[in-house]
Amino acid sequence: MKRDEAPAGDVQSPCNNVCRMNPDSGLCEGCLRTLDEIAAWSGLDDDEKRAVLAQLPARRTAR
Amino acid sequence: MKLPRSIRVIERGWLSANNIVLEERSEAVVVDSGYVAHAPQTLALLERALAGKKLARLVNTHCHSDHMGGNAAIQKKFGCAISIPQGEAPAIDNWDEQQLILAVADQRAQAFSYDDTFRDGDVLQMGGLDWQVIAAPGHDTHAVMFHSPEARVLISGDALWENGFGVVFPQLFGRETALAETRATLEAVGRLDVDVVIPGHGPPFGDAGAALERAFHRLEGYEQDIARLARHCAKVMLSFSLLEKRSMPLAELPAYVARVPILAELNSRYLRMTHAAMAEWLVNELERAGAAGRREGLLLARGE
Repeated sequence: MKRDEAPAGDVQSPCNNVCRMNPDSGLCEGCLRTLDEIAAWSGLDDDEKRAVLAQLPARRTAR
Repeated sequence: MKLPRSIRVIERGWLSANNIVLEERSEAVVVDSGYVAHAPQTLALLERALAGKKLARLVNTHCHSDHMGGNAAIQKKFGCAISIPQGEAPAIDNWDEQQLILAVADQRAQAFSYDDTFRDGDVLQMGGLDWQVIAAPGHDTHAVMFHSPEARVLISGDALWENGFGVVFPQLFGRETALAETRATLEAVGRLDVDVVIPGHGPPFGDAGAALERAFHRLEGYEQDIARLARHCAKVMLSFSLLEKRSMPLAELPAYVARVPILAELNSRYLRMTHAAMAEWLVNELERAGAAGRREGLLLARGE
């Protein structure tokens, strides 16, 4: 079912298991990604994943 | 490592298993539905992924809360059929919270009805491919995997992850063959032609052989010392609860490990600690693994 370590992979998913969308911001309240970014994540290459991650700190500040 | 274009994986964390969307012309099938608390986001993600295609069917690899918790919500929104492993049917028919590891582990799911079942040896058509149903007992006695020989893809559920596999609950609670079944399941994976494994949690990965090597190594540890499995199980159960609750008062943890039946039973059977000592040990272990931290009297999930 689950384990106590993070999933492997070169660029780790920012999902922190909150998985609830904020209707005002359109962002997940946990990882601050859009629905499209979450849905697409698994199919992105490492550079594309890093590009998503790079946007998250600014979104956190803007909250 | 390349997945066929007809397969999309919606990857989240540990509370919700991956949702795997397999598309064919105007229809799609989804494998596993995530945790019940995440159902609104799951529905929104699936709506995006389906992009107007009809969701014909939802299929479960097994019936634990992180894989079938969203079944009822998906069924209601999309009107799809639901197919489950035949061995899970009695537990779903009777909504057997113990068998499904729900209330006994302080976990939740929403009851659902299924339309049909499948079993080892059956062939399911999903995303324009034929998938062999392969029994995968161990973590869940009735779990299955799906293998496409044509695409050389394995949907492994919690039978094999890139680093490990799901807690072998049955071995801890009375089924003494479960570790041997886990070994047989891993050996069965080793006989398959696989370029890509889509696990129940974490990203798809290419090197099934290396993952199997790690899994066998971990399994040997449990075979040598069942208490190792019991300790792992206790940590995983508290981690899961913490992921849902986000924070838990440290002062209440001794009562929590006494109250939640699966933790209490792990303690009385294997760990044999006072409730306070078990709580303190668990907190230290979760902190050490980076899964939790403590602040102002609270145990906090990572990221809180």
